[in-house]
Amino acid sequence: MSSATGAQGTQGDQSHGSASLEVEDLVAGYGEVVALDRVTITADAATITAVLGANGAGKTTLLRAISGMVRPRSGRVLLDGADRAGRGPEDMARAGIAHVPEGQGVIAELTVEENLRIGMMSWPGIAWRRAERAAALAEAYERFTVLADRRRRLAATLSGGERQMLVIARALVARPRVLLLDEPSLGLAPRVMTQVMDMVVRLSRENGITIVLVEQNARAALAIADRGVVLNLGRVVAAAEARALAADVALRHHYLGF
Amino acid sequence: MVEFLQFTLSGISFGMIYAAIALSLVLIWRGTRLLNFAQGGMAMFTTYIALEVIRHTGSYWAGFAVALAAGVVLGAVAELVVIRPTLGKPELNAVIITIGLLILLEGLAGILYGGQYRSFPAAFSVIGLKAGSTPLGVSRADVFVAVAVLAAALLLAIGFRYTSAGLRMRAAAFNATVARLSGIRVARVITVGWALAGLLGALAGVLVSPSTFLYPNSMDSIFVFGFTAAVIGGLDSPAGAVVGGLLLGVALSYAGGYLGSQGSDLTALVALGILVVVLMFRPNGIFSGARVRRV
Repeated sequence: MSSATGAQGTQGDQSHGSASLEVEDLVAGYGEVVALDRVTITADAATITAVLGANGAGKTTLLRAISGMVRPRSGRVLLDGADRAGRGPEDMARAGIAHVPEGQGVIAELTVEENLRIGMMSWPGIAWRRAERAAALAEAYERFTVLADRRRRLAATLSGGERQMLVIARALVARPRVLLLDEPSLGLAPRVMTQVMDMVVRLSRENGITIVLVEQNARAALAIADRGVVLNLGRVVAAAEARALAADVALRHHYLGF
Repeated sequence: MVEFLQFTLSGISFGMIYAAIALSLVLIWRGTRLLNFAQGGMAMFTTYIALEVIRHTGSYWAGFAVALAAGVVLGAVAELVVIRPTLGKPELNAVIITIGLLILLEGLAGILYGGQYRSFPAAFSVIGLKAGSTPLGVSRADVFVAVAVLAAALLLAIGFRYTSAGLRMRAAAFNATVARLSGIRVARVITVGWALAGLLGALAGVLVSPSTFLYPNSMDSIFVFGFTAAVIGGLDSPAGAVVGGLLLGVALSYAGGYLGSQGSDLTALVALGILVVVLMFRPNGIFSGARVRRV
């Protein structure tokens, strides 16, 4: 017991570790419907991978299958080479995968600070790490000053942009190695959207977090991503450098609508 | 005026018992969106256990402690064994199972202890207290009832508000998806909720039985009033459960006191009347307004 906590403790002491994420031949669906048909993607450590495609292409299901919200029927989900497919979301969170679901990330009935503290629940031995918890909160408030001013307010009182900041801040408090973001810019004003995208870039460059970004706004996503993956009806139809995808006029017209 | 004071004080004492049952229902509702119809039956059963312990040890407090512990165990075991398999299936399944559990527990108590009424000791003197020469209509035992439930409710509130375990429970209740994605083991949190509910139910059973006697159905009406109190308060709100319990206890005490000999027969009707009026003006209960559920 003591050796296990010790080993996990050292892992938690680093602010953020990096990890590669590989998805191999993943098949997942709901009932009769196959939403993902042998999907394979590779995200190198500390890179941003944009997952693009029309509604119903399987983008959200892909994130849900990686984070354990949907149990894959077959295939592998490798975090730094270790297969974790079929684990529940609690275990995935503890393994270092943070999933920010679309539009429902904050718990409106809790205060801003309580929402942030939820992010620490995946830490091993959280009860004994009082000083570290305080430091993690201070760090979050330093980075997101908007939240510092509103720490005792209910999350329900925040604006859309502030909520998205809170959700991302909470995901960071968890010190993830892989961050799955589902439509982080949805419903935000253009200026706020730019702020969120800037934040995503900094998380990857400064903290070394591996990011998988699902976006409707393909142009904005490809502008900040290292690689892009295009899904159509549950299958990967293109995977390449983000710059190459953005330059491929035929592909853009056909699948991405710009 | 003296009568009014007496009715109010005794109403508060009974109201706290309804509050304890209401609180136990709220704990389970928040975790699983399920009404536990066996809550009263579980409380009745743990009170029989307390009576056995008191008889063998001669100590009221030993029986009291064992009843609370038995409530915790019974709540957790019920959730793990019969409720867990129904989660994610139609809600009616779980409801029917809690009714089945109630019938099972009442039947079992009948087989083990028989159907006759048994007297259950009170923690303190049941002789009415007086202020000067004015009788207050309540005894030391009644004061203990109010203090015990209030202490339990306060401890719960503090635990919910200021501890990590409490935050986990609230997160799981408000948004299970986000809770799980954050690494909170929601299934475990639900079991803890049932265990705490079992504890509160056991407390209510031990506290009410000196006035109602103990028999296999003795908690049925208490459960109905506790349920009414929970709905009045809004099933989601622990504070609402306590307020609803007090409101109902005092109202029923006035009805029983002022309406004369028919009053005590009318209590169920009065409870129904209060429920209807509250739900007409606040369909989600008194304490539901401030919450924002869908965004």
